Formats: sequence, C-alpha cells, structure tokens
Amino acid sequence: MSLFSYTKPRALSEALRLLRGGATALAGGTDLVTLVRHGVARPERLVDLTGIEGLRGWSREKGKGIRIGALTPLADLETSAQLAKLLPIVRESLRDAATPQIRNVGTVGGNLLQRNRCWYFRDEGVPCWLKGGTRCFAVDGESRYHAVVGAHECWMVSPSDLAPALIACDAEIEVASSLGRRRMKLADLFVAPQGKRRREHALREGELVAAVRVPEGALERRGTYLKAMERKAWSFAIVSVAASARIREGRARDVRVVLGGVAPVPWRVAAAEKQLEGTALDDNACLAAADTLLDGATPLRDNGYKVTLARELVRRALRSLAG
Amino acid sequence: MSPLRVTKSRDEFEGEIYESTVVVEGRDLAAPRDGAAGDEVGRPRPRVDGRARVTGAAVYTHDLHLAGMLHAAILRSPYARARVKRVDASKAEALPGVRGVLHRFNAPEVEFRQEKALFRDEVRFLGDEVAAVVADSEGLARYALTLIAVEYEVLPHVVDLEEAASPRAPKIDPDGNVHDAGSYTRGDTRRALREAEATIDVTYRTSTQMHNALETHGAVASWDGERLTVWESTQSVFGVRNMLKDALGLAPAQVRVLCEHMGGGFGAKLGTYKYAVIASLFSMRLGRPVRCVLTRREENLAAGNRSATLQRLRLASSGDRITAIEHETWSNSGQGRWAANPTGPTNTLYDVANVSSVAHRVTTNAGALSAFRAPGYVEGTFALESAIDELALRIGVDPLALRRRHARSRTDPRTGNRYSLKRLLDCYTIGAKEIGWSERRAGGTRGSAPHRRRGLGMASQIWGGGGGPPAYATVHFETDGTAVLRVGVQDIGTGTRTAVAQVCADEIGLRLDQVRVRLGDTEAPYGPGSGGSVTLASIGPAVRLAAHDARAKVLRAAAGILEVRAQELRLERGMVVSEGARTPLGDVMKKLDNSTLIGTGLRHPNPDGLALKTFGAHFARVEVDLRTGEIFVEKIVAVHDVGRIVNPLAAASQVQGGIVQALGFALTEERIVDRGLGRVMNANLEWYEIPTAMDVPEIVVRFVGAPDRRANNLGAKGLGEPPIIPAAAAVANAVANATGARVRHAPMTRARVLAALSMAGIA
Ligand SMILES: Cc1cc2nc3c(=O)[nH]c(=O)nc-3n(C[C@H](O)[C@H](O)[C@H](O)COP(=O)(O)OP(=O)(O)OC[C@H]3O[C@@H](n4cnc5c(N)ncnc54)[C@H](O)[C@@H]3O)c2cc1C
Ligand code: SF4
Repeated sequence: MSLFSYTKPRALSEALRLLRGGATALAGGTDLVTLVRHGVARPERLVDLTGIEGLRGWSREKGKGIRIGALTPLADLETSAQLAKLLPIVRESLRDAATPQIRNVGTVGGNLLQRNRCWYFRDEGVPCWLKGGTRCFAVDGESRYHAVVGAHECWMVSPSDLAPALIACDAEIEVASSLGRRRMKLADLFVAPQGKRRREHALREGELVAAVRVPEGALERRGTYLKAMERKAWSFAIVSVAASARIREGRARDVRVVLGGVAPVPWRVAAAEKQLEGTALDDNACLAAADTLLDGATPLRDNGYKVTLARELVRRALRSLAG
Repeated sequence: MSPLRVTKSRDEFEGEIYESTVVVEGRDLAAPRDGAAGDEVGRPRPRVDGRARVTGAAVYTHDLHLAGMLHAAILRSPYARARVKRVDASKAEALPGVRGVLHRFNAPEVEFRQEKALFRDEVRFLGDEVAAVVADSEGLARYALTLIAVEYEVLPHVVDLEEAASPRAPKIDPDGNVHDAGSYTRGDTRRALREAEATIDVTYRTSTQMHNALETHGAVASWDGERLTVWESTQSVFGVRNMLKDALGLAPAQVRVLCEHMGGGFGAKLGTYKYAVIASLFSMRLGRPVRCVLTRREENLAAGNRSATLQRLRLASSGDRITAIEHETWSNSGQGRWAANPTGPTNTLYDVANVSSVAHRVTTNAGALSAFRAPGYVEGTFALESAIDELALRIGVDPLALRRRHARSRTDPRTGNRYSLKRLLDCYTIGAKEIGWSERRAGGTRGSAPHRRRGLGMASQIWGGGGGPPAYATVHFETDGTAVLRVGVQDIGTGTRTAVAQVCADEIGLRLDQVRVRLGDTEAPYGPGSGGSVTLASIGPAVRLAAHDARAKVLRAAAGILEVRAQELRLERGMVVSEGARTPLGDVMKKLDNSTLIGTGLRHPNPDGLALKTFGAHFARVEVDLRTGEIFVEKIVAVHDVGRIVNPLAAASQVQGGIVQALGFALTEERIVDRGLGRVMNANLEWYEIPTAMDVPEIVVRFVGAPDRRANNLGAKGLGEPPIIPAAAAVANAVANATGARVRHAPMTRARVLAALSMAGIA
C-alpha cells in the first residue's frame, strides 16, 4: 500500500483540472482501492468523482436514445423497471455481475474502466509484461481463465459484463477533459495491449468518461446476455455473450454478437455479424457465425474449453433472439 | 463410590487408533433407552450463544484490543525455496513506532513442529516465515516489513504433486520427496485380481482445498512477568498450550489459553502456528500485549490445507461380489511431515475379503497440510465411491444394490472387533426412499431444459467419532439456583456450548437458561480438541456425570432445608418438587448462605473390544448441461447413523454445513499454483471459489437416531466430519449417471466436465 493524496471536488471542471495534472479518477473504488491495497496501482493523487453533480443517473430524450451518467451506480440501472423495458439486456448483464453490495457502490464508468482480473497482474510480486516486465506468465502458466483469441503479448480477458451488453447496443461514450469533450464508440475504448501500448483502455491522460449513450435505433432491437460462471453467483464470466438483432418476418437484421471473457477486449467480428444478416438464426447459421467469431482461436494450456463454451453460448443467445 | 484406578483407553482420532493411560473414578451411568427423550436432550434448541454471535456482542480473538497492545506482522518468503543469506532490518528498526524485529539471525532458539528454529535458513515454500515486526499499529508493522532487506539465494523448487514424485524432480528432502505413509493388507488381492471375472483400474485426482474459516488464524499474547495469557482462535486450547509451552520453554502452569468464541477452524486450528510464538516472544520481551492475526492471503499460504491427491484404484469382482480392492495414493503434504491417509474408507467400509492399500506422502515446496474436516477420508471416499460405481456400471448392477451386499458385516475388518452399533443399511433404505432411487435409470433421464440430463448418485461414509477419555466437567450452583458448567473444551462453532448445556439441564432438572457454560479456558480440567468428531462423545458423558452428582447433592441439601427425605424430592425445570409443593431451587439455595454444591464428572473409557464408528449415506440428484458442462446440484439427501441426536437443530446445521463444504470440494474449490513461480495464484476469495448461497441445493437431513447404548452414557457419537465425507462422490456418481461421462478429478470444474463429456463423445 502506498501513500496518496485525496480530493473530492464538487465541480467537473475542478476534477478535470486535477486529472490533467496527473491525478487518478476514483469512482466507487471497488476496483481501484483493491488494486492500491495490493500494491498493483500506486496513484499519488486521487480525485473522487462521486461528489460531482450531474454525472449520476440516466435519462431518455425522445429520438436521441438513452444517456447514462458515468457515476451512476450499477444497481440503479439494474433495478430500474423503466430501463428494463427499454433496454432489458442491461439488466440481464448486471444480474450476475459481482454482488448486490458491489453493484450498489460500483459505477458504470468504473465498470467499463476496471482493470483486468489476470491473477499474475493482480499479484504485486509478479512483474508481468502488462506491468512493464518482459513476459506474460499466463502463456506457459496457469491459464484456465485467460484469452483464447485476439491476444498479442498479453492474454488477459476483458472482465466487464456491462461492456459487451452496451457494445451490442452500439453504445458511444462522452469523454471529457480540460481541453473539451469528444465522443467515441464504446467499442473503441477497449484496446488489446500490444507493443508499446501496455494498457487495456484508450482514454488519454487527463480524460474521464462522462456518460454512455445508447442510440435510439438500438432500442428497437431485441437483446440478450448469457454468462457462464464457475459457480452460480459472484463470479467473473468464464465466457459471456451479448447479442442483439432486429427480427423482421422471422429474419434477423442489424445483428450484433459480442463475447466477454475470451479476448483482451469485448470480442466482436464484423464478418460473423454480416453472415447472420437475413438468416432465421437457425442452429446452423448460429454455429457458423460462432466459428467465424472464434476463427483463429489459439487456446493456451488450460483454456481450450472456453471455445466449446463460447460456441454454445453464442448459439443459445442468438437462438433466443429468434424465438 | 468405587476406588480410583489407572487403566488404558484405546480411542480413534481421525482414522488412527491411539492408546492412552487414564484415571477412572466412580461408576458410569447407563445410557438412556431408545426413544427416552428428556426436556432438552433430543429437542431442537437454538444456540445459547446465538444472540451474542449474530448481534456482534460475541468477542472473537480478532476483536480483542487490550490496553497498550502492540501489533505484529510477518515477512514471508517470496520464493518457493531459497536460502536466507542476509537480513538487514535496520531501516525497519529505525522507524518510529517499531518496537522490535525478529529474524533468523537474532531470534532465540525455539522448538516448534519438530524444528529448532522459528525462521528457517532455507525457506521452503512461498509464504514461509522470514522475519517479524512488532509496532504500534498493524499498518505500521506491515509497512515496516517492506523496509526489511533480505538477500536470498534462490534454489530449485517443485510444487506440483506429480512433478515432485517423478525421479527428475529436485530433491526437497535429502532422502527424496516420496515417503511411506502407511499400508494395509488383508487376503490376497493379486490373486483375486487375477481370478476375477471383471476388473477396473482407474486413476482419480483431488485438488488442494483450503479451509478458509471466516476468522483467519490469530493470537493475542500477554506476558505479565510470570505467566503468559494467550487468546487464540483455536479448536484446542490445550493443544495450543502444549505447543506454546514447548516452544517457549515454559511450564504448563505458566501458559493460559483462552478462546471464548471462534470463527471456524475445520481442522486447521487444532494446534498453533508461528504467529502465536512470535506474538508471545514479543510480548515476553516488551511486557505488553501483542496481537498477530493473519491476512486471508497468509491464511491460504501458510496455515494448512487439504492435500491434493493422486489415487489409483483397482477393483475386482466375480458374480455380484467385489472380491478385491487395491488402492495406492500419493498426497501432496507440502512441508508437512505427515499425510492424511486416503485409504481409511477402503480398508474399513465394505465387506471385501481382499484389500491392499499403500499411501505415500510427497514433499513439495508448498505450505504444509493440516487436518481438514475428515482428512484423507474426503479424498479417499471420492475415489473409492466413484470406483464402486464404475465397477457397478461395468458389471451391470445397481450401485446401491452392490453396496448393500457389502455393507452387512457386524465387525470392523481391520481389528476384528464388533461394531457397537451399525445401521448403514438403514441409511440406505431411508435415503433411497427420500431421493426416489427407484426412478433412477441407467444412463440417466431427461432434464428440465434442452440438452440437460438428470441423474441420481449416492455414496457411503464411515468415520470414527466415538470420542474417549480424558475429559472432565464440573457443575456448581449459584445462590439463585442456576448452575455453572465448566468444561475444558471450546466451541468451534458446532454448538458444543448448547449441547452440553442441554445435557446438564436435563440431568439436573433445570431449564436450559438456568445453565451457564464456561469453556475455552485451560484453567478448567482437561477437555479434548474439537476435532475428529470427538467433542460431544468425549465431554458429554462427563457432563452428564457431573450433573448427576450435582443433582444428588442439591437434593440432599434441599431435603435438609425443607425437612423432608431426599427420596421424596425431585427437580423439575428448576423447581424442587415434593408431594404437594413446588419450591423454586433459588429459594432453597438462598437458605444455604454461601455454601456451594459442586458436582464432578469424568469420561469413562470406551468399552473393550468394540469398534465405535459412524456410518452414513448421501444421495444426490443433479442435472448436467451436456453442451456447457454446467452441473446443477438439485437435491442432496443425507442420512447418518451417529447414535443419539442431542440437538436436532444443531445436528441438521452440521450436516448442511458439511454438505456445502463438500460441494465446494466437489465443484469449485481448488488451490491453483503456478509451477514455475511456485506461487499460489488464488490465495484469495476471488478465484478460490467457495460455494455461495446460490450454490446450495435442497438438503434433506435424516438421522437413524438410535442411541449407541454401548458407546457411552449419552449414546451419542460425533457428527462434525461425517457429513463432508460422501457428498462429493454422490455428486460425481450422479453426474456420471446423468451423462454417461465420468469426471475423475475433484473439483469438477467446467473444463473437466467438458473434457470428460468430450472424451465420452458427448459434448
Ligand atoms: C468481488 C468482485 C466481483 C466482481 N465481479 C464482477 C462481475 O462479475 N462482472 C463485472 O462486470 N464486474 C465485476 N466486478 C467489477 C466491478 O463491477 C467493478 O469493480 C466496478 O464496477 C467498478 O466501479 P467503481 O465505481 O467502483 O470503480 P473504481 O474502482 O472507482 O474505478 C475503477 C477504474 O476506473 C477508473 N474510473 C472510474 N470511473 C471513471 C470515469 N468516469 N472516467 C474515467 N475513469 C474512471 C478508475 O480510475 C479506476 O481505474 C467485480 C468486482 C469485485 C470487487
Ligand atoms: S495475461 Fe497480461 S496481465 Fe496476465 S500475466 Fe500475461 S501480460 Fe500480465
């Protein structure tokens, strides 16, 4: 545990000024505090965002979709009956995320920006590649929960349940910094660590996520979220699938399939989605799409089962959209 | 009263028979008859300390904060094996608030767990103690650890059981890593295997399970210049005292160990560990109380575990008889000097003429094993009972019918002694009915959703749990007519406090709330550790005798005060009852001024030539998703034959807890160690997945309930371990029934279930 300073500003501008000066954002703290306690993160200055007005809560503007403040506790999304009607996939994805207690404190922004759960990464005593070391210990080590696809130097998996669900809804994020605001696709927030880029997120220094936006069009699609866990509750996904589609006369349009737990980023393959356009989401089409999604998968010593699991979950998720 | 005499007693503890010299005085009482329930014994009673525990009023070792108390923290080896060449603690010592540092170059010589040094010069597992700091606060002590510079010479290590057993592995022990840990034979297995009509030859594995009691290990030690008082979260106050007095070179009378409440132990807290010696040494040096409690990570590195095992079983049959069992096992003992032998059930459970078993202990650079709720028996039963089902499938016999045929013997095959009571067949009958065994079909049945199959499985259990001497109790009355019961045991969480209060209340004729139990203190006469399912069967009979003695005295005293004959008086729920009159006992006692009536009782030896065992059977109904490998345990029926049930409510909760812990072992709990680094990757509760409330199935608990009248004057045997023993095998057998695929490695994780399904050509 290291020593750090702590500030809790009330104005967003003040928070952005501090972030620009190199401070680290603190939301619910359910992830960051454990990282600090275990010596993995060593921030010198923390800016607590929870005192800032206007970053909490969600709203719908007619024709413009849904806007969710980054500081909204996960539980608020999960328990809102109104949101469940508009965007049931969000509730489905949160139902098995962490625990009720953590969902009460953990925020949307924090969930999207949480660090990965690789046990080598989380162990202060292991100087792995992602932390600036020379090698990835998972590659020839204990890899049952690691990536099977899309990994370069680092085989961790993207742990968020919310991210695949929101990406399947074409979500965008509003990013704020002292220099101004920008919008980006949520999917682009996630990057596979590679080469000089030893991190999981594409935020720049001094930026924070202010809100998530789901466009109106996504509200017309059906969606579903499936998650495989080692036990029945309070587990990160071994594999998860978010899928959404518009069903017209028994045919699927605008299909999205996003996998969690299999790659360093929420895993999406355009060709797989295209392949499903206009199909009836029958078993064969679903499995063929799953094969495209997992094409090139190179499991490590212990995680080949994830491929089997992912194939079946993709099939089930898509089939349930059809039915 | 018959005179005092010295005699021998033979008692079983965790699968081994021990002989001890005991002193016996007086005569024992006869056990009550079947169906003779008292006002308290045999009735469901909430724990007498339940309110204190759930409201937070109960003080645990972790909660203890004494005036002037200091905090100790331990520096642990970051390597699986290394030589400690130099320790520079000067920076830590210079930190204001740091009161002392101990390490191998300045620590006094200490005899502990068969070693002479507290800090090894060669540290032998990641987490091995290297140094300790005592400081004004826990945070400061932990920070000071980071300032200690240690120079290590890293040595080759091996952490994996199968790697360590291979000839190419680095030798951790000078005489090699594989050691004998016991063997047993009867008959001629070789011949039986040769002549058999059918044989199977299968290998099973079980992974390392970690206790993860809610309260981690910890102690607070306080030296007053002459005597050491230690509060410790322990399941054996006397066990801790013995180890500490030896380590510190003190007389027994100089060490007092206290444990009023504790947050679980499961076997890992039968003795103590170095943290308590460290706290004591610092306290003796500084004259202030010192607290040292382990973090969850330390707990899971250096405070015991259930060994991983590799087990090979060969079974032979002819006709519908099992003719031979051969069982060879290897256990990863880490740095432990013993093995929890998995072959106990093989050697004793079934009437099989030819049995041979060999157990090996394998040394690795991992934390030492410790007893863990039915050590060896959980691992061994998983393998044995899986193999029995595999054989049943091979020869086309119903697995329950096959077991029935081999469960009739009335004598213990290992000693030739008759069982005091054996109702295993009744367990089968009750359980089969409750789970609906007649609906079991070879190959399973359709599940409740597409791709799901449903199956039934069962497994049996044998375990000791007869208890034995020495164990003592005293009862004395307060002037208000309430009783104080003193026993030298502790309540590990099983409800001992409540059960002994029930026994005492009934025997005297008091209400339960009129008995106050004092336990967890070595100032009391000796009581056994809460392990091996021996507690109640050891202390309960002594309590009954003490209460009996106290009642006789109080009635005689009451007769004197009320001026009637003692024979005309009875005690009923705190009232002295004579013909036509009911006087509260308190009114009588008031007239006695401060005279105190004291009853004493001791545990008599177990009957000669009888084998005291507990039996049971678990039945499981599961569904398995053939495409995702997910196991849904829907229902477990547990039937146990453990003699008389003193508190049905606590007994049911014991069984439920045992099953939940067994489901962890069966499905998710597994220590994961990186072999190259020698590091435990999940010494936490994130990736070491214990069952949650959502993982708990419907559990039906049944007891045969017949008192074992030959066993002791309560007719009761132990129940701590039995319910964890057969559940994993019952689930594995149900999974195999449902799917046709056999998972031979516990825990049956997704990866293993999917692999087994794919091997069987299903997934
Ligand atoms: C035991 C446990 C189990 C869990 N299981 C699951 C699970 O099954 N599924 C799942 O999805 N998650 C799971 N989680 C993760 C949990 O959802 C996250 O910890 C939580 O959502 C993080 O939110 P927070 O507000 O507490 O973030 P914090 O801990 O405060 O922050 C997390 C990170 O995000 C950054 N950050 C936070 N907000 C912003 C912002 N607005 N802009 C820029 N950066 C920001 C912080 O700097 C920090 O790096 C689990 C966590 C725990 C502890
Ligand atoms: S997967 Fe990534 S985080 Fe884990 S050890 Fe490899 S490099 Fe480090």
